[in-house]
Amino acid sequence: MDNALLVGLSRQVALQRELDVIANNIANINTNGFKGESVQFEEFLSSPARADSFPLADRRVSFVQDRATIADFSQGPLAQTGSPLDVAISGDGFLVVDTPAGERYTRNGALSRNANGELVTSEGYRVRGAQGPIQFDQNDADILIARDGAISAMNGNQIADRGKFLLVRFADPQRLTKEGLSLYSAPGQQPQAATADTSLQQGMVEKSNVQPVAEMGRMIEVTRAYAALANLMNRTQDLRSTAINKLADVPAS
Amino acid sequence: MRALYTAATGMAAQELNVQVISNNIANMRTTGFKRQRAEFQDLMYQNLRRVGSNTSAQGTKLPIGLDIGAGVKTSGTPRIMAQGSLLPTDRELDVAIRGEGFFRVLMPDNRTAYSRAGSFEMDDQGRLVTPEGYLVDPAITFPQNASNISINQQGEVSALLPNQTASTVLGQIQLARFVNKSGLEAIGDNLFLETAASGPPQNGNPSVDGMGTLLQSQLEQANVNAVTEISDLITAQRAYAMNAKVVTAADDMLQQTANMMR
Repeated sequence: MDNALLVGLSRQVALQRELDVIANNIANINTNGFKGESVQFEEFLSSPARADSFPLADRRVSFVQDRATIADFSQGPLAQTGSPLDVAISGDGFLVVDTPAGERYTRNGALSRNANGELVTSEGYRVRGAQGPIQFDQNDADILIARDGAISAMNGNQIADRGKFLLVRFADPQRLTKEGLSLYSAPGQQPQAATADTSLQQGMVEKSNVQPVAEMGRMIEVTRAYAALANLMNRTQDLRSTAINKLADVPAS
Repeated sequence: MRALYTAATGMAAQELNVQVISNNIANMRTTGFKRQRAEFQDLMYQNLRRVGSNTSAQGTKLPIGLDIGAGVKTSGTPRIMAQGSLLPTDRELDVAIRGEGFFRVLMPDNRTAYSRAGSFEMDDQGRLVTPEGYLVDPAITFPQNASNISINQQGEVSALLPNQTASTVLGQIQLARFVNKSGLEAIGDNLFLETAASGPPQNGNPSVDGMGTLLQSQLEQANVNAVTEISDLITAQRAYAMNAKVVTAADDMLQQTANMMR
């Protein structure tokens, strides 16, 4: 086949993947703590063709390849929920969650208490505090979460200390792996203590940081580029069929 | 094309979101109603290139991977158990709880249900019942001709009986509270049931051990905020429309592909 067809095909495959990523971003437009992603492409050069008889040197054919998905870790908007156990993280920190598969990290701060009074995520995984799991008493009311993550509650007539959220940050957040369920794992990377700028806002959750306008724009770009390529590939086919017809048209002498 | 299915998960999730919001708005004037919200989580990711895998024999590693997500799922519809505002009613048998706790209601099948709605009535035998006629637990019976019923902050029910000058104590309203009240199961009729997630009820008198206080002649309104619900509705509707656009775009691309063959 012609190189033009193959190059076009490589771009179309990459564009389909890009639309998959956009679809995932838009599907998660209302997911708390979700971070949008974009695709990074790179050029892939074929090995040079050897043909020395041409006056100009042969150029290498360049294909496109999707290289990586880059997560945008910028802050999502904060929405007020009125639930005292919701926390939004302002800054680059993550909450630490104990899952059956080990330690995981999340930005989704829609938390609740389980039947044992422990602070859990909506999947029921325990949220880790600076000193072990965060545990509430049966009689706790009026839970207050301070900006630095310290938790206190009214127990009877006294204010009781209920520990502090463990907040961590990563030197290279791009190397975190998304696991679904708003959880991240950190293969080959140790979490560090969050900086002092990281603060918690009680009664709020961080919404998805996907920007609908940008995603729609990218989607239009993808469909247009795809259509343009389809057009280009059609032309290549036309070119070839014309060539075949013209060249094979041996005039009768 | 995966984008089609990814967008379909998004549309399903937003449809559910609209259902939850419409139920909240429908119950805006329901006494003791607690609003719900839909919570979402991202689905599994397909790792096409795993982050940190080797890119050469020299030990260079991929700094970023290529992960493609499969969409969104609804993780739950937790109930926001925040206090609703109190509305004065001038009815003696209306009671609101300010703070933690639920009224205990004995259902016909002998299970105990829990409720925040304190719009009580009296049945033909003078017992304190819910609007459905279910008995309030512990039972409180008013003798005939009882007047001036009063329910104090500690839940003590008293009334003035004929030929007496001082009011007589007729019973005590008790409340139940839960470690995780968002884990209660709603069964309609303003009633909730205990679940494994809510933990067992702890019974007690109002105003003791962190239980809420009772307020007579007041009703607790639904804790639905119209402005929040409408803005949530707009967001959900727009998100639905955008997911539908992704379906159109994916369809468009498939059509282009199909048209390439002549």
